[in-house]
Amino acid sequence: MGDVTITRARGARTAADRVRLRRFVDRLATSLLWSSAIAVLLILAFFVGYIFYLGAGTLSWQFLVSPPSEVTAGGGIGPEIYNSFYILVLTLFFTVPVATAAGIYLEEYAEPGLFRTIVQFSAESLATVPSIVMGLFGLLIFVYLLGWKFSAIGGALTLTLLNLPALMRVTQEAIAGVPATYREASMALGATKWQTIVRAVLPSAIGPLTTGIVLIAGRIFGETAALIYTAGVSVSAGKAAYDLNPFRSAETLAVHVWYTHAESVVPDVARIGNGSALVLLLMVLIFNVTARLLGRFLTIRFTGKA
Amino acid sequence: MALAQNIGKAGAARAHRHEFVAKMILRSAAGFVIVAIAALIAYLASEGTKLFTHDHVSPLTFLFSPNFNPDAGAPGSLVFIVGSLAITLFAIVVGGPFGIAVGIFMSELAPRRVVDAMKPAIEVLVGIPSIVYGWLGLTLLVPFIRNATGSNGFGLLAAGIVLSVMILPTIITLSEDALRVQPIALREGSLALGATRWQTIWRVLLPAAASGLSVAVILGIARAIGETMAVQLVIGNAGVLPKGLLSATAALPTEIVMDMSGAQQGSLLEHALFSMALLLLLIAMALILAVRIALRKRT
Amino acid sequence: MVETPVLEVVKVDVRDLNVFYGAFQAIKNANLSVADRKVTALIGPSGCGKSTFIRALNRMHDMTAGTRVTGTVSLDGLNIYDSSMDPVVVRHRIGMVFQRPNPFPKSIFENVVYGLKIHGERNRSVLLELAERSLRQAALWDEVKDRLFKSALELSGGQQQRLCIARVLAVNPEVILMDEPASALDPIATSKIEDLIDELARDYTVIIVTHSMQQAARISDLTAFFLLGELIEVGTTSEIFTRPRDKRTEDYITGRYG
Repeated sequence: MGDVTITRARGARTAADRVRLRRFVDRLATSLLWSSAIAVLLILAFFVGYIFYLGAGTLSWQFLVSPPSEVTAGGGIGPEIYNSFYILVLTLFFTVPVATAAGIYLEEYAEPGLFRTIVQFSAESLATVPSIVMGLFGLLIFVYLLGWKFSAIGGALTLTLLNLPALMRVTQEAIAGVPATYREASMALGATKWQTIVRAVLPSAIGPLTTGIVLIAGRIFGETAALIYTAGVSVSAGKAAYDLNPFRSAETLAVHVWYTHAESVVPDVARIGNGSALVLLLMVLIFNVTARLLGRFLTIRFTGKA
Repeated sequence: MALAQNIGKAGAARAHRHEFVAKMILRSAAGFVIVAIAALIAYLASEGTKLFTHDHVSPLTFLFSPNFNPDAGAPGSLVFIVGSLAITLFAIVVGGPFGIAVGIFMSELAPRRVVDAMKPAIEVLVGIPSIVYGWLGLTLLVPFIRNATGSNGFGLLAAGIVLSVMILPTIITLSEDALRVQPIALREGSLALGATRWQTIWRVLLPAAASGLSVAVILGIARAIGETMAVQLVIGNAGVLPKGLLSATAALPTEIVMDMSGAQQGSLLEHALFSMALLLLLIAMALILAVRIALRKRT
Repeated sequence: MVETPVLEVVKVDVRDLNVFYGAFQAIKNANLSVADRKVTALIGPSGCGKSTFIRALNRMHDMTAGTRVTGTVSLDGLNIYDSSMDPVVVRHRIGMVFQRPNPFPKSIFENVVYGLKIHGERNRSVLLELAERSLRQAALWDEVKDRLFKSALELSGGQQQRLCIARVLAVNPEVILMDEPASALDPIATSKIEDLIDELARDYTVIIVTHSMQQAARISDLTAFFLLGELIEVGTTSEIFTRPRDKRTEDYITGRYG
């Protein structure tokens, strides 16, 4: 090395320093990102755990089947659980045919053009409507306009509108997931489009389709805002609370939690709320697990493998 | 086999008939979707403007007056508008970066098995009903804030925190998708130039995924602004303008749900509540437009 | 104008066929007379349009948006593109086997009888009988007769392709189109398919696209050479391979480009 002196301006960083800084930032960012992921898992675990902790003591057979109480303590949630299921079934009864039909149409039949664009835009718009606004629309149409007052079917129809876009998307994705070769082979054998859909496409799509439907069912089960002013906040008395009349008021479990807290005067709000929250959470977990298992089972059953 | 040929002809005719009917039915189902949203907009617009047409309230009063006293003829909804904006802002500022960070984690850092483990966890977070989030907020968060700060616990802070958690899954899944679709070549090019992984994410991937990330944030906003039950249980439901994070206040959806039961058909209160619903609807539609614009920016 | 050799019976007659993908012309003025109950091979380098050509013969392009077909394809004298012709019936008479075996994710039996069911056949015993007949014709019966109701996806690649052939045979077509049917298979499976094609040519008209000149030389009676969307030359297989008339054909045969 000769006598070359290298002068460095004060405060300047050498290349080695810069690399060290970059590596440090990289490690810092990595740990922050990992932490955020762990934080999410912790939040979930904490929520689920806390709900179990709060509600475990309140669950009893008596709680699960007794009717609610208006003024005194000791009310149960029997009719509300029934209504949650009843409205769920009713909603699916309307939503599944319409949404899968619309989804099949969009995915298999619709040519690019005005109609298709408007349908897609309508579905997108419907998906962004807040549930309380949908509830008010239901109030206008079913309670006021059609005069049904609070009714299970009014609630179910409102929920149908709310869930149409989601189920359409599930249908479209399930169908898009079917390999094009099946369609080709079917058409080459002389099938019409509809025959191809029914015999070749849908059987392959039934797994993801069912998973999606059951997951949506879980969301329907927990819906509140859209039901308060359509299905109402009360249940019939006695045996009538468990009948199949769609035109009676039908408070669901989720709505009951809100009603008990916001409007009711019973002294054991905490107990009812804790127990109901736990039941709701358990149902969601059951729906989620069922969705996965059922989807996998159906895929194997209908396609032999894949 | 002549027999097979004949079966073919008759079968084909029947198949074509079925095809025609099926196509008609499917098309009607798709058409129904159009009818549904059209009816919704029409009815809500009609009922939501009665405040202006029948009761002769000026839209400016409705939007900017903090005086909400329908019995005395004053339907100023500024309190609720401000409340909604405040909690949404909080949720986005807290939940947005948090959600995007987890999205980055899942797309760029996490090994396959961790991703597969996290997906069902996020699904459960999505599936928890909003009323349960509200209940947790009420029984867990509000007392915590009360002890920590001495206020009564209800208010913007509680609502903001609850909302942040609720919009997390939306933002996580959408930002993860936005990042995943970026071509591997992008990452490789950056790393080959000597960049660290974080530099690649920060300088190359995030900008490249900008439109997808915007969509994630916009849809997070949409979720937050329409959320009713979770917010209603923790926000305090006081019809006054919030003075800080710890003041109890109200938001558009919570006001609707609280006062609708007592609102008589045709009353000023009822009209005001429907105008609030119309406002929410318009905000939601504006957000859809924002999403479309964000997506179009993607070349 | 390409000269075609004198044939006994013309089963499929292609006149002035043009196929456009949007603005791109994939097939330019193709004319070909396909002999009845013979094997006609279509050869040429990748991208020369052989697949596009063969798909025009059973109206597969109807399903692709933006594709336009002009000219006529006559089956026994009737143009299949005529507006009075039902594509469903056309595909009944002209079947197709694809490059990658694509059995439905159903049982072997359900695969074979798929075409029959969609044409309205519901009688179980008829279906079983026709299934056995087709599987025998496809030289697959002995291998699957004990597991007819197991999933078709459990079969090997070669077996799946023979199943796809059986599926086509079940609807009793007159013409069988094959788009590189053995290219995804190993040599043993390939030779089984080639033996099968020999057999089938006794009762059916076979048109086969192949990228292997050796395969064309082995199994076909007539060969047509395509290049960049044009049908350059057609003749008996021995003529094409030993005394090609066009220089471009000769260049391809001798391996100048592939």
